[in-house]
Amino acid sequence: MDDFTLGLLTNVGLFSFLALSAYLLLLAGEMSFGQQAFFGVGAYAGGILTTLYGVPLPLAALAAMGLGALAAFLVGLPTLRLKGLYFAMATLAAAEIARLLFELLHFQREIEGELAGPDGTQGFRGIRWIFEQGIEAQEFLLLTYALLALVLAALLLVERSRLGVTLRSVGEDPELAAALGVNVNRFKLGVAASAGALAALGGVLFAHHNTFIEPRNFDIMLGVHSLAYALIGGLGTALGPLLGVALDIGVLEGSRIFGGARMIVFGGLVAVLLVLRPRGLLDEALVHCITSRALQRR
Amino acid sequence: MAPLLEVRDLVTAYGKIEALRGVSLAVQEGSITCLLGPNGAGKTTLMFSIAGILRPRRGSIRLGARDITGRAPHVIVAAGIALVPENRLVFANMSVLENLRAGAYQRRGGAEIESDIERLMLRFPRLRERAAQNAGTLSGGEQQMLAVARALMSRPRLLLMDEPSLGLAPLVVEEIFRIIAELHRDGTTILLVEQNAHLALQVAQHFYLIEQGKVSFSGSPGALAEDEVIRRAYLGSAAR
Amino acid sequence: MLLDLLQNTIDGAAAGASYALLAVGFTLIFGVLRRVNLSYGPAVMIGCYAATWLHLNFQSGLIVLALAAVAGTVLAGAYVERLCFAPHRSGSAIAAMVASFALWMQFEELATLVLPRHVYAFPLLHEGAPVEFLGLSLRPDALAVLGVAAILCALLQGLLHRTRFGLAVRATIENPHAASLAGIDPGRIFVLIFALASAIGGIAGFLIVATHGQVTPMLGMWATLKGLLAMMLGGLGSLRGAIVGALVLGQIEAHSQWFLGPQWRDLVAYLLLFALLAANPSWMTRWTISRSAS
Repeated sequence: MDDFTLGLLTNVGLFSFLALSAYLLLLAGEMSFGQQAFFGVGAYAGGILTTLYGVPLPLAALAAMGLGALAAFLVGLPTLRLKGLYFAMATLAAAEIARLLFELLHFQREIEGELAGPDGTQGFRGIRWIFEQGIEAQEFLLLTYALLALVLAALLLVERSRLGVTLRSVGEDPELAAALGVNVNRFKLGVAASAGALAALGGVLFAHHNTFIEPRNFDIMLGVHSLAYALIGGLGTALGPLLGVALDIGVLEGSRIFGGARMIVFGGLVAVLLVLRPRGLLDEALVHCITSRALQRR
Repeated sequence: MAPLLEVRDLVTAYGKIEALRGVSLAVQEGSITCLLGPNGAGKTTLMFSIAGILRPRRGSIRLGARDITGRAPHVIVAAGIALVPENRLVFANMSVLENLRAGAYQRRGGAEIESDIERLMLRFPRLRERAAQNAGTLSGGEQQMLAVARALMSRPRLLLMDEPSLGLAPLVVEEIFRIIAELHRDGTTILLVEQNAHLALQVAQHFYLIEQGKVSFSGSPGALAEDEVIRRAYLGSAAR
Repeated sequence: MLLDLLQNTIDGAAAGASYALLAVGFTLIFGVLRRVNLSYGPAVMIGCYAATWLHLNFQSGLIVLALAAVAGTVLAGAYVERLCFAPHRSGSAIAAMVASFALWMQFEELATLVLPRHVYAFPLLHEGAPVEFLGLSLRPDALAVLGVAAILCALLQGLLHRTRFGLAVRATIENPHAASLAGIDPGRIFVLIFALASAIGGIAGFLIVATHGQVTPMLGMWATLKGLLAMMLGGLGSLRGAIVGALVLGQIEAHSQWFLGPQWRDLVAYLLLFALLAANPSWMTRWTISRSAS
């Protein structure tokens, strides 16, 4: 596999975490413009831990996920009772605050004769844990997809469980869910924290794959992209967002047919797709149809 | 004489569920025609289909010589039908006067519109008192009068009224029906949906009983024992 | 000190005036469609690029450039309306928003295809030094922006309150169903409002690039964020609120930049928005439509 393909596949995997994070909240009925903040929190926290303190990546990743969950919890606490656009704008504001704080973050130490650590708008160079451990690009790719498979398996299990039913009912009719005894606010906080942890995990991996991160990696474009992934791929199953990412990064970057006009072609296709399938390719109806057929065959 | 409104074999559905299953009826010019029937029988669906809010699946609706089946609501207003909807739908954050002007949106000629407003103010003195107030501050009865006045501003050939007495105090209901009788005297053609069958049968010349999406009976007040009509209007024939 | 405060206030007012136009356009679209148009800023950017292209190739005068900016924005807006909003009118708000985001991507690439450099110079409204007055420096072009914005807002107010079209717009904003029962065609109003909002956005874009003296593809995201921020600060969905929100945003930016440093400029604005939303004051979350008009 050449480097280009490797990089591409890894990116598909990395951004899938973010897309799944946005998808989780969409299922709970909330549209977040701010999941990129937790992706960023994960990237910065993980990078600082491995680079400045020599913490092994797995531990750093766990810590970063905890921090991502905490950050999402704190943002969710005052905002999850907001509806629709108000919630979207509150999360957008939170994410922009996070990005601007990354710009103010100067925390550098001398490591092996070189300054390392976040340096405001100059970014954060030299997150080299992967290379220091001698991990090959292919191995990292495998690691990413193994983690993604784990997350996906967990999500698919949840979707089939009572928890999944609760999740969708909270999203579709919170009053009814509340009447059935679900503590909607607490439930949504849990969902938001999980989504934050998920985004942070993606962020840690992103930082270590890129070795260099800067605040504008985590701007609003990334957030809207992750929402779009979930919506293009479909809201019927956790596989939907992955399809969205694969379509965007894979097909778009992978195909050079359209030359410089790739985004024009792709943007138009997305808009038309949404006219035909407003809830994405793998929407609830299609997923229901496929699963019920599969069950019949059994 | 050819009727002003003629509905033939009308079928309107929400998804797979047919709310109207082949309704036919006629409204004579200058008359009050009343639709009776239990809740969920399809009366409001019929009103919405005539006004163009719902698109019928089959059948036809004619106003005079013109086929208006499936046309957009604003086209139907221009053709001469105005609906006073069940929940009134006045523009709460616009003044009474602006509500009336909005009702005349299809018409040209400012002077004539203003003189119509003047005449309606005479008929509805309460609206004159509140002309500059936002419609949202009016009482339920006043909002109902405003909704009727707004519909009249389009100078309709046919006025559709969906449950004008709903949620109003008895005295106010009485006033509304006095106005309906007045409009009739002035020659307005009215198709009325009303839960209060006693009141409706007092003003109507003709009535249709609608049950489960079909006309089950029609006639003039007095043709069928009034009690029977009323019983079925409230309870449906299933209660027999 | 007092002089600095005054100077900042004046600078903030000029910036706020251009935000006000963006926020008014945003609010008009949100008011009638109840949909967020993420492509609003990028459409403005396309208008400004059309003007820049004319400037580069024909050295056209400012009036022609302004007209080109408006025409380009309206054209781009019409494209957005047809592809993102007309099909989703009674459907999903999120789908419409994501579709508008997809077109944003198209607009950015279109801009860089036509004019590939990252920054292009744009002719200034006013060349030369600011006017010194009582120790304050007044930029004539900033004052012109303030004046144009004030006039446009007054005209819009008149249009909405004194004309038959305005009556129909306000009725549609309140309730499209009721409006159609009164004989108004809401579909037509949606399209006309989109065109009107785009035209206002085009004027705003022209004024912004002609005072900054440059155009970049980032203008799209910038304009969308400023417009959204001002609209939300003003309480969402009221024209008067949008104008107030925009002026407040201009002041916050100018003063926090002066007192705290340039990196705090945007931070304070977002902190304020977050705090307002978190506090959930009722004036902000109550969707009062015709405050949009009154």
